[in-house]
Amino acid sequence: MSEWLQTYNELWGMYNAGIITSIFGAFAVTFTVLMCWPKLVKDFGPIGGFIAAALIIGTFWVINHKLPGYGFSTGLLLDAENLPMQFSLIHQGARGSAPWVDMGFAIATGFVFADLLCAPKGTRWALTKEAFPRWVVIVIGGIVGGVLVGLTGYTNAAL
Amino acid sequence: MKKYLSTFAGSAICGGAAFGIWPELWKSYGLMGGWLAATLIIGIMWYLNHYNGAIRNPEGKVWLDQGWCIGAAGIAWGIVRFQGDISAFFLAAPTLICCMIGGALAGVTVWVIRSCQTRLDKEESKI
Repeated sequence: MSEWLQTYNELWGMYNAGIITSIFGAFAVTFTVLMCWPKLVKDFGPIGGFIAAALIIGTFWVINHKLPGYGFSTGLLLDAENLPMQFSLIHQGARGSAPWVDMGFAIATGFVFADLLCAPKGTRWALTKEAFPRWVVIVIGGIVGGVLVGLTGYTNAAL
Repeated sequence: MKKYLSTFAGSAICGGAAFGIWPELWKSYGLMGGWLAATLIIGIMWYLNHYNGAIRNPEGKVWLDQGWCIGAAGIAWGIVRFQGDISAFFLAAPTLICCMIGGALAGVTVWVIRSCQTRLDKEESKI
């Protein structure tokens, strides 16, 4: 069992244990956001949203996305195979060199699934069709924003 | 088209802010910087996108969270910033699939909890 967990899955681009922790990390943050965020906003208004952002997202960022390094030290720690160690629950693929996958995907998927399943039967297809163009616009908007910020990589700035 | 303009602007700002600020704060202040980044970015962007409704979410329809644009921006930023080519997306796909499986599981769990709640309410109102 421990042998299997430590095996690096070449096809999947992460350790087998990383697959399990990634799914669990995504589940944990999504469940907490779905259960707590709307209630916090209902109870405290906009202040509740800020509290939720700090407490839920901030805290789950530490467990899901903290990069290698401890505390204030952000230098990469290397494992026995000289690869950057990942202490986060959500593993980044290809030995940590894949483009960044954020836990936002998990939260957003969770909202879509919960809303679609809670809707009465027979209305689900119409709801999906209504949401699809909005979804496309949001994803394109995100890609544009990411590309524009990513252009800093072409300015020779050593950030 | 016009009605999607605010959605587009809100999601582009949100994606850009998240990946312009978050890595820098983390690199400067370590874990506490990441925590602060969540408070600043997600707090302000939530206020913009969801409390003030920059991202269109009509009442009673499927909720599209700003998580979609942050996630999409993360992959696009990673590819452009580190000057990979577009095929680098496939390196990120496994993590993406894991994230979506976890999120979907949580969505299903919340649905089960809520439908149990409504069933209990109905039974109680019968008595």
